[in-house]
Amino acid sequence: MEITARDAGDVTVLELKGRLDMASGSSLKEQIKVHFEQEKNSIHLNLGEVEFINSSGLGALVSIMKEVRLRKGRLTLSNLASYVQEIFEITQLSHIFEIFKTEEEALNSYQTVQAG
Amino acid sequence: MIRRDLTYPSSNESEQKLFELTEECLRDEGVDTVLARRFLLAISEIFTNALVHGNNSDPKKEIRVILEIKKTSLRADIIDQGRGGLKRINNRQPSNSLSEGGRGVDVVTYYADTVVFAEDDKGGLRVSIHFDRENEKQLSSS
Repeated sequence: MEITARDAGDVTVLELKGRLDMASGSSLKEQIKVHFEQEKNSIHLNLGEVEFINSSGLGALVSIMKEVRLRKGRLTLSNLASYVQEIFEITQLSHIFEIFKTEEEALNSYQTVQAG
Repeated sequence: MIRRDLTYPSSNESEQKLFELTEECLRDEGVDTVLARRFLLAISEIFTNALVHGNNSDPKKEIRVILEIKKTSLRADIIDQGRGGLKRINNRQPSNSLSEGGRGVDVVTYYADTVVFAEDDKGGLRVSIHFDRENEKQLSSS
């Protein structure tokens, strides 16, 4: 899986491309750990180019969310393909994660929270 | 019809190889993309369970996969070399919202038309998954 990171204000945006499974989930956790070490605890994951996700990949996302919560940060997701969204719904993780249709909507929500 | 009888060492690379081979077979047999994606997900989940829970990622242990892609159905049998797999499946607890594992079998049973867990003659867990192709055209249009 390819992971591209960039900053959007205070939010770290990671664009994921390819398969999100056991091996790539571990790589993703490692990469996010680097951002945590820099006190970047607002993380947005754009899943628009995730071609495949299995329960090990979901497990990695849950692990990241737990770490974000411990750090009093925030994790958002966006651009889920319909089949990825379906897996979130089957596993009921759609109720646990903050999922936005687009990255723009997700990033706007950080500004709304800060302003509110 | 395509039938493959394959044996893989217990490694993440094996899961990737099986995935790619199955994807190619499904494409060659003209299986609808939605159904193909669900079957690939089911195979990935069961193979990963066999690798991690059945064989404890022991590279000396192998995983046998029998694939059958027919005009009317898709089937895979995945057999590990672990012990007590059936008991583990029967005793598994529902995953809570923040657990990092335990969702794979639920996903497979949701999508597959039939999933059968059995102990093979050597004590390993044999998982047989079956998908009907009867309604596959409706999947893509729905």
